[in-house]
Order: sequence, then structure tokens, then C-alpha cells
Amino acid sequence: MKNRILIVDDSFYMRTMLKNMLTDAGYEVVGEAANGQQALEMATDTKPDLITLDVILPDNTGLDVLKGIRQEQPDVKVVMCSAVGQEVIVNEALESGATAYIVKPFSEEKVLEIVGSALQESDSDQA
Amino acid sequence: MKSREQEYREIFMAEALEYYNAMSRHISELERNPTDEPSLNELFRLMHNLKSNSRAMGYNSIGELAHHMETIFGLIRSKEKTFTGSVVPVLFTGIDTIGEMIRAVGANEDMPTVERLLDNLDRLVRGEEPILEEEEDDTDEDANRKLELSDLVYIQIKKLDHLMNLVGELIIDRDRVLTLSQEIGNPALLMAATHLSRIADELQYSVMDARLVGVGSLFSKFPRVVRDVATAEKKDVELTMVGEDIQIDRNILQIITDSLLHLVRNAIGHGLETPQERVAAGKPAQGHLTLSAQTERDDVLIQVQDDGRGIDVESVRRKAVERGLVAANVAATLDADAVRAFLFEPGFSMAKEVTEISGRGVGLDVVKLAIDSLGGQLRVESVLGQGTTFTLVLPTSIAVKGALLFQLDQRNYAIPLMHTDSVVSLQPENFNVVGGVLLTRLQDENVPVVSLRRLLHNGDGPLPPAVKAEVEGRQDIIIVKYNNRRLGLIVDRFLRQQDIVVKPMSKPLDTIDLFGGVTLLGSGQVCLVLDVPALTRLFLAKRP
Repeated sequence: MKNRILIVDDSFYMRTMLKNMLTDAGYEVVGEAANGQQALEMATDTKPDLITLDVILPDNTGLDVLKGIRQEQPDVKVVMCSAVGQEVIVNEALESGATAYIVKPFSEEKVLEIVGSALQESDSDQA
Repeated sequence: MKSREQEYREIFMAEALEYYNAMSRHISELERNPTDEPSLNELFRLMHNLKSNSRAMGYNSIGELAHHMETIFGLIRSKEKTFTGSVVPVLFTGIDTIGEMIRAVGANEDMPTVERLLDNLDRLVRGEEPILEEEEDDTDEDANRKLELSDLVYIQIKKLDHLMNLVGELIIDRDRVLTLSQEIGNPALLMAATHLSRIADELQYSVMDARLVGVGSLFSKFPRVVRDVATAEKKDVELTMVGEDIQIDRNILQIITDSLLHLVRNAIGHGLETPQERVAAGKPAQGHLTLSAQTERDDVLIQVQDDGRGIDVESVRRKAVERGLVAANVAATLDADAVRAFLFEPGFSMAKEVTEISGRGVGLDVVKLAIDSLGGQLRVESVLGQGTTFTLVLPTSIAVKGALLFQLDQRNYAIPLMHTDSVVSLQPENFNVVGGVLLTRLQDENVPVVSLRRLLHNGDGPLPPAVKAEVEGRQDIIIVKYNNRRLGLIVDRFLRQQDIVVKPMSKPLDTIDLFGGVTLLGSGQVCLVLDVPALTRLFLAKRP
């Protein structure tokens, strides 16, 4: 079965790029959220296997969204998307339960590698 | 099919331009309010996104500049730096440069060089003074800059007024051509006239539409007014505004500006109680004021509503008698609406005691006159102890009004529908004479009726007492309504209802205040437009 992924990013450009990369690699993108509110709603509605989460969002910081999602869905894998210079936030995100992180700008290989290994972690957990 | 690369590029461009526009807006806001947190957050986020997207696209120089800018906005946001002094021009230049770079990408041109700008941004981060360019360099760059024209045109209202007047004349000619072509009966002519008529209609609505502005452009000035007045009056007031998007003719908004200001000041100064008084009366300490706009058919309703002490009808009734505005026995029979209407009488505004007792009365007659001049209405509703609502009923546009056309002595007249209550035909047995005034009973109310011919041609003295014998046969009567009073006007013959373009009277006739203007009918005949407020006042002044 295809793994289901929710993309959270306030930039349409970033969402489009991620979606193309992930869809081409055989994942199912179940939704795209542009802000924290949408992200929380769509995470509840779509129950994805993995969420790519931008650290800076218009209404919440990505960190608040991460904590909100963790409370409801402890098992979902969350890959934080950050840029250079946000190591402090990324570190806090990992402590708050993020599975992994990608640093923008990212290459297709890097995205697929990190998403793939994050999902494998989930499979091995269940096994 | 578009390649994926092309698609990315298009999305990048569209989003980058959007970001650039938002950045320009937010930095202007920051200039007004250097610590505005929402603007700082947005600038930081937008720079961050632009940086990430540019780098992903390989536009590294945009990414580099956005990264530097993001760093500074981050420092300002965390209060390590302030948006003051030399920081301001450098950041403005930064955003301008971002705009140029995005445009260069779109036009496939070379990117502007940014070394000096990046160096200045680095200096700011290190806490050093930037090296600002000389003015001369600046103009040189301005000359090379691509000019972009906005999609918006600012236009003097005077020019729109002129356009509106021309359209008004065109509409009159349209009706004339249509009437003539119907008389001549040539099918081709009739078709051309019908087409002309449709185009003229569309033109009229386009010009009217071009003059419309959002009520919000006036409302937006009120938070400040309310704060200032509330502070001066030692009141605690919360302002709510509703319907800022409602559209209205710009000149109408201009004319009601003072009235609205007056009503709001009055509401805070006299309508709302002090926090102590409110608590003592069992109300929340904070008073509430609502400014709202809504459309109702072709009219725009603007309301000023407070939850203050309300109007004491009995004290207004007493004062109206004391001021000689109404006889005591008549006053006793008036309902609350009719009594509150006295607040708009000129004599009433001087009554200081009333102001203190009722909380109302200062200069409301001036407000009333301004609204009348637009052919609008002013209404007041109030519940003692609970609050007062003033309602301004305004036409959306000043140019065209619905009117009722009638004849008197072979001449055509028009009365704006805004002031027309109803139209009735009555037999002599429907009339009574009380105190020299002809009365008829309509919906359980006695309505005075007067011959319009007599009212217009009576001269200076009071009207002669009416006698029942003068009413012969069926009478066509237009019931007009002004300031909650109804008055029946006997005319010779009703004609029809029609949209008319009212033109102001030219000199020296413009001193005759019984007529609001003239209009030309399709037949080419001149038609006088009656001013109902003036007619009502004339009747009250001259009644026997």
C-alpha cells in the first residue's frame, strides 16, 4: 500500500515541488496545508503516515503545529523542513517529537532519502 | 505541454511578485509603526520563503539578499535592533532591489549588482553604520529602473462630476429620442433609438459605479475620533464597525462626514454614561458604540447605535410644548416617534436643559438639513435606559432618483419617491375639517391635506381656513412623509412613476427653496422637482 503524506508549507512553490517529488516516487500526497490551522485540521481528517512540516508558518510556528499533531497522533512521522540558520528551532522540534528534518534548498534525492528512512522507522516500530 | 521546469518558474514568479508586494506594504506599515509585530513577523516569513524558493530555483543572488534581509528583520523582531535611523533606508533599498531582481528574472535580464547592499546589510548586523549612496547615484539608478504603471488611476472628483452631468443630459436626450422615434414609427429609427437607450443606460451605470467608494473609507477615521472623544469625556467606549465594504457615491459620503462625526460625538458625550453611572444602572462599565452600513433596496443605511441612557420622550414632549413647537393638547396625543422628531427642529437645538436630561438635541437640526439636501432621511429610535440608534437613509447615487410625476394647472411636477408615502384618490365624504385644516383618515391616523395649488400660490400670509364645501368630486392626493409627519397634497392628475435626472436650478431661480431642481421629460417639457422638506415646513408655518 502506498504511504500517505501530508505537505505543510506556506509557499505554493515549495508545496508543488515537494508534491511532484513525492508523487513521482510513488507516494500518495493526501493534502497540502498552507498554514497551521489547516495543517491541524487536515492532519485529523486525513490521518497521514507522514507529514512534511515547514518550521515557519503564517499563523503558528511549525513547532506549535508539531506539538498539536503529536497530542492527537503520536504515531505519525513528522519531517521538519527548515532553512540554514534555524538549527535552534530544528533541535527543539526533534526534542518535541519530530522524526527527522530536511534543510532547504533540498535535492530530490535528499528528500526521498529522508522521507523513506523516516517511514521505515515506522515500519520497524510496528514489526 | 509545459515542462515541469517552466511550471516551477511560473509559480516561482507569481509567488515572488506576491511576496514583493506584501513586503512593500508591510515595510510601509513599519515606517508608520516601527515596532508593529504582525508586520515584522510577515516580513520575516516572506523573506524566508523567498530565500528558500530562490535557492531551489538556483537564483542564488536573490536568495542571498533575502537571507541578509531576513537576518535583519529577525534581529528587529527579537528587539536586538530597531527600525530607525540608517536601518530604514537600507531595508527600503533592499526591498526595492528584490523587486528589481524578480522583474529581471521575469524579463530574462541580468540581475542588478547587490554587493554594496549586502555589505551595508552586513554592517548593520555587526552594528556598524552603513555607507549610504549619494543622491546623485540614486537618480541615475532611478533613470535606469523599469517603470511599472499601476492598474489604478486616481481621478479628481471634479472630472467625475462633469462626466456625470454629461450623462445626465444624455439620459434626457435618450428619453426624447425614444419618444420621438415612437411617434414617427419608423422601425429602423426605433431600433436605433432602443440601442442608443441601452448604451446610455449602461454608460450611466458605469459612471455612477466609478464614483462609488467603500463606506469604510470614512469609517476608518472613527476609531481615532472615538478614542479621543471618549478620553476627553472620561467615558470607556468600545467601537464596533460593520459593513465597511458597502458602496456609496463619494460626494454623498463627503456630505455626511460632518453629520456622522456629530452623531458619534453626541453618542459618546451625551448618549453613553460614565462607567460609574453604567455600573450603578446594572450595565457593563464599558459603553458600546456601533457604526454600521447596509444596503436596503436602492438605499444605503448608516447607523450610529449606542447602548447608553436613551432619550426621555416625556421630557422632550414637555420641552416641545415649552418651546412653542406644539400645542399642549396636541403634544399629549403624539406617539413616541412623533415626539422624538422634535429633536430635529431648529428651535430645539438651543435647549440646553434637554441636552442634559435627555442626552440629545445639540445641533441635530444641522444633521437633518445635510441629510435632507441629499434627499435622504434621518430617523431615531431609542429605548430609555437601553440606548439610541440614529439611522441615515441615503441614496446610493445622487444623479438619478425615482420620482412620481403629476400635473397641476397643465404643468408637470415631480416628487422624489424617497419622500412619497402613498397615493390615494378620495371622495368628499372622506374629509373632515378640524380647526381650519382639512383632514383625512389613513391607517388610523389623521393626515392633514392641502391643495398644492393653494400652498404654492398663497403668498406670504397664512392659508385661509379650509371649508369642506371646496372639496368637489374625487381628489387625487399624494401623501408625502417628512420627519415622521405625513401631509396630503391635492394635485390635478397623477402621471406616472419614472427615474429622473435632477438638475439644480440655475440662477436666479435657485433661491426658490420649494423646488429641489428641474428635470426634462422625454417630451422635452420642463418639469419642476418639488422639495418635500421645504413644502412641509411651509405648510406648518402657514397653516391656519
